[in-house]
Amino acid sequence: MRELQASINPLREGIAASSAPSPCAFVIFGATGDLTHRKLVPAIYNLAHEGQLPTNFALVGFARRPKTHEQFRDELRAAVTEHSRFQPINPTVWDSLSQRIFYLQSDFGDPKGYEALDGFLKKLDRDRGTAGNRIFYLAAAPAEFETIIDQLRPSGLIQNSNSWQRIVVEKPFGSDLATAERLNSVLAGVFDERQIFRIDHYLGKETVQNIMALRFANEIFEPLWNQKYVDHVQITVAESLGVETRGGYYDQAGALRDMVQNHMLQLLALTALEPPVSLEAGAIHDEKAKVLKAVRLMAPDQVSQFTIRGQYERGSIAGQSVAGYRSEKNVAPDSCTETFVALKLLIENWRWAGVPFYLRHGKRLVKGVAEIAVQFKAAPAVLFAKEGCAPLSPNVLALRIQPDEGIAIRMNAKVPGTVMNIQPVKMDFRYGGSFGVRAPEAYERLLHDAIVGDSTLFTRRDEVDRSWQMIDAIRNGWRTASPPVPYESGTWGPPEADEFIQKDGRQWRRP
Amino acid sequence: MAKTVTSPAVETFAAGIETAVDVAAIEKQLHELWHAAAETQPGSPERQIARASLFNFVVFCRTEAHRDHATQVLSTLTSYHPCRAMVLVVDPELPKPQLSAAISAHCHLAAERKQVCCEQIAFHASGTDVEKLSATVLPLLESDLPTVVWWQYNFLQSVVVFRQLVDAADQIIYDTSSWDAPENQFGALAEIIAARQHSKFADLSWTRLGLWRELAADFFDDPSCRAKLNSVRAVEIEHGCGPGAAVRAELLASWFAAQLQWPAAEALAKIRLTEREDRDVTAVGIISFVIRASDARFSVRKDHGELAASAVVEMPNVCSLPRKQAFRPADEASLLSQELDRASNPFIYERALRMASQLFGRAGKI
Repeated sequence: MRELQASINPLREGIAASSAPSPCAFVIFGATGDLTHRKLVPAIYNLAHEGQLPTNFALVGFARRPKTHEQFRDELRAAVTEHSRFQPINPTVWDSLSQRIFYLQSDFGDPKGYEALDGFLKKLDRDRGTAGNRIFYLAAAPAEFETIIDQLRPSGLIQNSNSWQRIVVEKPFGSDLATAERLNSVLAGVFDERQIFRIDHYLGKETVQNIMALRFANEIFEPLWNQKYVDHVQITVAESLGVETRGGYYDQAGALRDMVQNHMLQLLALTALEPPVSLEAGAIHDEKAKVLKAVRLMAPDQVSQFTIRGQYERGSIAGQSVAGYRSEKNVAPDSCTETFVALKLLIENWRWAGVPFYLRHGKRLVKGVAEIAVQFKAAPAVLFAKEGCAPLSPNVLALRIQPDEGIAIRMNAKVPGTVMNIQPVKMDFRYGGSFGVRAPEAYERLLHDAIVGDSTLFTRRDEVDRSWQMIDAIRNGWRTASPPVPYESGTWGPPEADEFIQKDGRQWRRP
Repeated sequence: MAKTVTSPAVETFAAGIETAVDVAAIEKQLHELWHAAAETQPGSPERQIARASLFNFVVFCRTEAHRDHATQVLSTLTSYHPCRAMVLVVDPELPKPQLSAAISAHCHLAAERKQVCCEQIAFHASGTDVEKLSATVLPLLESDLPTVVWWQYNFLQSVVVFRQLVDAADQIIYDTSSWDAPENQFGALAEIIAARQHSKFADLSWTRLGLWRELAADFFDDPSCRAKLNSVRAVEIEHGCGPGAAVRAELLASWFAAQLQWPAAEALAKIRLTEREDRDVTAVGIISFVIRASDARFSVRKDHGELAASAVVEMPNVCSLPRKQAFRPADEASLLSQELDRASNPFIYERALRMASQLFGRAGKI
């Protein structure tokens, strides 16, 4: 009889290492909040619908408000009915999932609540086969994060060596470098970095994940992806909405901390990173961290030269009059919080030296759109200028993140006719057109990854620290600068933002 | 000559209703339809339609009933795998030579109420006109897009048509579960796969084994369990009585034997296949397998209701709760989609086929 090699699993050949989710209990702290209803539980239902949840799975809501398991299930059913991408709700899938949903009432600071949770989870291990594996999802207010993490340590909830425990931390991850470091320290006192999943839902979007595929699976782009051929990069995340119900939080945070520190710097990192040695989480985190480290920190006296901030005033969007920022609920009437920010960032490495990355984000802009646009240097015009053609438009590669996820390339083409006339044309690839509407929603992908333990689409501690360093440097400069400039709602931001980029001889795109 | 395309013709096309077309003018007629569709678009977003295609999908059918079934599968499949579909009913037994064509579309609502549509070209070839099929189909393959052929019947019995089209195919999908006595053809199939290295072959019987093979592989990632592989005494597979159940059991058994490098004689001694005695028609496909080794037993069993399978290790000093995992949907559209998303590894399949030929073919003894 032939002896098999002890180090190789012969049945594994040709079969990807299992990404099947292990049994687990999924505990949501802050389970009665908006995030749970709008995003988390619909995403979990969608995973159940797609057969991607472990069979031995339980969801436990943990929050202050008293309610029964049944009341909690009824609320979640309504939330799933409203927010799931699968309509109508499949009663078989929901019934099966709802039998595995439970609720525990407790104050976040009450040790008895955690003892009860520990006991309840152990009972689930026995009755439901959740095997001691736990995911703790912090969906509570950020002010409660530290309290919850501190309570997890002594409660025995994370001390089972034959199983795994992970924590998912929602944004905002701190409000500056000092608070982020403190939160990281508190987390590190209880969890290893491998157990910590800092969620940034932008990274769960298909088009964001496609940045890597576009760059590294297509030989035609990567050779051009550098300072020799790229003139500049524009990253735009525009919103037509105002602060809605988040006035209190937003007035403290502002656009820079709410969007730029996390989502937009992650987009920048993915656009600019070097090819990772593999697609494993650590390799990608390493390259993202390198990019962020290479971004030049602004000195206080440079901030007004490299940034613009604005605040929306009243105006109209889609034919509807909208109020100015200072008239929004829970916003100070004399608030100096920015609702628009434009940045020019320089990445000081070999690939990107001299190529500015312009980041632009604002609320109450013309429309809601997010894209990354790589503008290449213009081709020499000499050939066509002799024929009387207008100056050539530079090529642009635009990665549209939302809505209408896709990729567009602007190129120049001859207008049919007897004379040489060049016009820019657009080649447009839309995900919806080619792949249909089957993409999982961002939270769906991220929750699945957290359950299977893949942290690739989450942010690592060094990325968070460095991005806060950059944000703090800007905020430091703003302390002595003039306040945000006003802009009319329903525009592309303050006129000063146009001047900001025009002085470099460039223009904002109108995505 | 093709008639001028009108707005109602576009609506008929987009509604999936077939329109007979001249075989020589198919491309022209489609072009005119899309042109007419583009002209109806301004000012009526709910009528906007766009054409999408990521690959050519050629489907071979024997009967009209098979063609209707294929059209139904395509209506689902095209929502996430847009393609130019060509559905061919091939009936060489009919004496009357005939080659006819019809066009229709599969349309799906996309963002902003736009419709994304895929073309379907249906052919019916009978008698000696079957020989004209490849020359008709090949020019209609969209350039620079991969070509996938889904053979709804045993292509080994259609050697002429197969040879004519196989060179154009990047992937060939078939289902040995629907073949008569596939055991006797495993060897020939393996030879064809080995000879056609540029094409990927996908057997939906093999695709259906995906979760069973994954769960079996999962057992032996653990070194202490892996050590037991050298002492496997028996592999017992229980299967249902439904169509294709036996062939899937044979393929699974052959995969075990091939991967564990058992000579055929050893495999014949160790493998036992049993058909469930109660003739429960709901017990389709594989029902369970057990790998018996010295001091250890590894088993996977389909749960009641067939939504999931439970995997259990019974070994001294190993505490293992049953691990459950849900089956992926096993309807034909889902199986095709799995193969289109990520084709199975052909080498492992080919190895299993060769083993299956030895174990279960005419010379086999199990």
